[in-house]
Amino acid sequence: MTTTSEAAAPRRALICGVGGQDGAYLAALLLSKGYAVTGSSRDAASMPRRGLQSLGVDGRVELVSMAPSDFRSVLQTITRTRPDEIYNLAGQSSVGLSFELPVETIESIAIGVLNLLEAVRFVERPIRLYNAGSSECFGDTGELPANESTPFRPRSPYAVAKACAHNLVANYREAYRMHACTGILFNHESPLRPERFVTQKIVRAAARIAAGSDETLALGNLDIERDWGWAPEYVEAMWRMLQPDAPEDFVIGTGRSVPLEHFVERAFGHFGLDWRRHVRRDPALLRPSDIRRGAADPSRARERLGWRPRHGVDEVVAAMCEAARAG
Amino acid sequence: MNPPTHPRIALVTGVTGQDGAYLSELLLAKGYEVHGIKRRASLFNTQRIDHLYQDPHETGRRFVLHHGDLTDSSNLIRIVQQVQPDEIYNLAAQSHVAVSFEEPEYTANADGLGTLRLLEAIRILGLEKKTRFYQASTSELYGLVQEVPQKETTPFYPRSPYAVAKLYAYWITVNYREAYGMYACNGILFNHESPLRGETFVTRKITRAVARIALGLQDCLYLGNLSALRDWGHARDYVEMQWLMLQQPAPEDFVIATGVQVSVRRFVELACAELGITVAFGGEGVEEVGTVVAVARDGLRCKPGDVIVRVDPRYFRPTEVETLLGDASKARERLGWTPKITLAELVREMVHSDHAAARRDSLVKDAGFQTYDHHE
Repeated sequence: MTTTSEAAAPRRALICGVGGQDGAYLAALLLSKGYAVTGSSRDAASMPRRGLQSLGVDGRVELVSMAPSDFRSVLQTITRTRPDEIYNLAGQSSVGLSFELPVETIESIAIGVLNLLEAVRFVERPIRLYNAGSSECFGDTGELPANESTPFRPRSPYAVAKACAHNLVANYREAYRMHACTGILFNHESPLRPERFVTQKIVRAAARIAAGSDETLALGNLDIERDWGWAPEYVEAMWRMLQPDAPEDFVIGTGRSVPLEHFVERAFGHFGLDWRRHVRRDPALLRPSDIRRGAADPSRARERLGWRPRHGVDEVVAAMCEAARAG
Repeated sequence: MNPPTHPRIALVTGVTGQDGAYLSELLLAKGYEVHGIKRRASLFNTQRIDHLYQDPHETGRRFVLHHGDLTDSSNLIRIVQQVQPDEIYNLAAQSHVAVSFEEPEYTANADGLGTLRLLEAIRILGLEKKTRFYQASTSELYGLVQEVPQKETTPFYPRSPYAVAKLYAYWITVNYREAYGMYACNGILFNHESPLRGETFVTRKITRAVARIALGLQDCLYLGNLSALRDWGHARDYVEMQWLMLQQPAPEDFVIATGVQVSVRRFVELACAELGITVAFGGEGVEEVGTVVAVARDGLRCKPGDVIVRVDPRYFRPTEVETLLGDASKARERLGWTPKITLAELVREMVHSDHAAARRDSLVKDAGFQTYDHHE
C-alpha cells in the first residue's frame, strides 16, 4: 500500500467519537498503518482516555473538540484537519438510553451524519466517509440472517435514528457521487465496552462474584439472540470498506447468533461458577420494544473485502473475562 | 350509549396547507372543534383556510388557530396541553422534495424531529391513552421502488432528504405505537392534488401555466423530468381516509392511492386538452419540447406551431424518483375506502380554477395594472 509519496505525506484520518470502544481500536489500527490520526469528541479536554491509554496510543492521536450536531463545528474541524478519510463513530450509542433521550439520539446520530455529509460536499475534497450503522436497523431478523438488501424494521429510537443516518449516506452517495458508505455492524464487544452494555455488565459481575462478592446480577430477557463479535476485528472491516474505489454498504457480523443465556453461561463458567445461582430476572430491565433475534449474513464482506472474523462469541467471552480478571 | 355532550377535539398541524384545509372542512362538517397550528410569518399564509376563519372575539368558536412550530418542543407541549386533543393530525412538514436537497437539515428537523416532538408531547402530558395520532407519510418513502405496485409491505428506498426525514417520522410513529401502546398510525399517501396544491408542485405548476398560456399571460412552461410516473389522486378523497384511520379499533398503517399512473407529460396533455389545446411532444431528453398542434376554441392566445413546454435541467433532482404506483387494496378491504374523484375530474377542476384566476389577472392587466407570474 505504501508508496514514496504517501510515506512523505501520511494519509490523514479523522475519527469522530474517538472516546468510545471502536474509536480507540480504530485509532490504534490506523496508527499501525501509518496514518496521521485526529480524533474528535464533544469536549476533548474532558474525554475519558482510558481506551486510548489501554491500547498504548494516548498521545499519538491529535484530539479535537467537535459537536456533530453543530454544522459550524463540523465544517471547522474538517477544514482544519484536512482528512482523507472520516470515520463517523460518534453518537448516542445505547439502545436502552434512546428511550429516555430520543431527541438527543436522533440529533447526535442523524443530524450528526447529515452535517458531516454536507460539510464534505462543501469543502469539495475527495474525502471518504465511513458511517457506523447498526444491525438494530433490521429489528427482528427471525431465522433469516440479514444481508445488505434486507429491509429495515427498527424497534427503538436508536434504531430509527441509525436507519435515518444510513438512508442519508446512501442518498448522498447516489445524489452527489460521494465516497460514503455505512457498515451495518452487529454487536461487537471488547474489554473497552462500558458497563451499561449488557455483555460487560455480565462479565464484570461474574468476575466480582468469583472474587468473593455476594451480589446478584439482575438481567432482563435472557432469550434474546444476538451475533456477538470482537470489536478489534470490526474496526478492521471499517477501514477495508473505505479502500475500494466504489463505495458500498456492508453487513458485518460473525454469522452465528446465540441466546443471551449462552453468553451468561459462558461468562460465569469461565470463572467456574454456575450462573443460575447468581442471576435473577428483573422485568424493569425489559425494553418498551425489543428485538428477539438478530442474525447476520456477512458473506458480501467476506467475498468483496476478504474480511473474516477469527473470534466467535466464545472467544469474545473468554477475552473479556480475562481482561476483567486482570482488573 | 349517550351521545357525547362535548364535541370531539382535533389538532391539525400544517393547517394552512392543502390537506390541512380539506381536513379542517371535513372535521368541522363532522362536528369537531378544530385547532390548527400555523407558523408565524410576516406575510399572510392562511389563504386556504380564510373561509373557515372565525374572529377570536366570537364566542363558541369551533375553528381556532395557534401559532406554533414543529421545531419548538415547549411550544408544542403547551398547545397540546391547552387543546387536550382527542386526535392529532400531523400534516406539517417541509413538503417539497426539490427544496429538501437545498435545505436538508431544516427538512430533517421539521419533518423527522418534529414528529418525534409531537409524540413526546403526548407522552409527557400523559395523553397516550386519550390522544390518537395520525402521521402524514408519503409514497416518496418508496423512492427507488422495490416492487410494483407499492403496498404496505413494500420495502422503502428513500431518494431525497425529504423522503429520508419522512421515513424517520414513519418509523418513530411505529415505534411509539409498539413501545408505549399509543394509537399512532401512518397514512402512506401517494400524490394528492387539488386547486389548493402549492404553486411550486408540478401538477399545480402545469395547470397554472396552461391557463396562463391560453390567456397569453405566459409563453412557455419549463419542467424537469417529463417521464416521471405518478399516481395522482384528489386531496379531498384522501383526507377522508386520514380521518377514517383514526376511527378504528386498533391503529394500523395504510397505503392511500388510486392505482392509476400517468407521466408528467401525459398530465400536461390532459391539462391542455381541458382548454381545447392539443399539444404533441417531440425530441429527446433536454431537447424535448411540447408543441401546439391544434386549438379547438376561439380566443386562445396560442396557435399551432407554438412551443409551450420545454425541459429545464434545473428542475432535475440529484436522485430522481421515476415511478410511483400505489396499491390501496388494504384500505378498500378493511375500511371500504375508494377514491371517488378520477384523474380527469381532478385535472378539470384544477385547470378551471387556475383559468378563473388567470382571467382575473388578465382583467387586471388590461385595466393597466401590473400582474406577476410567480415563478419559483
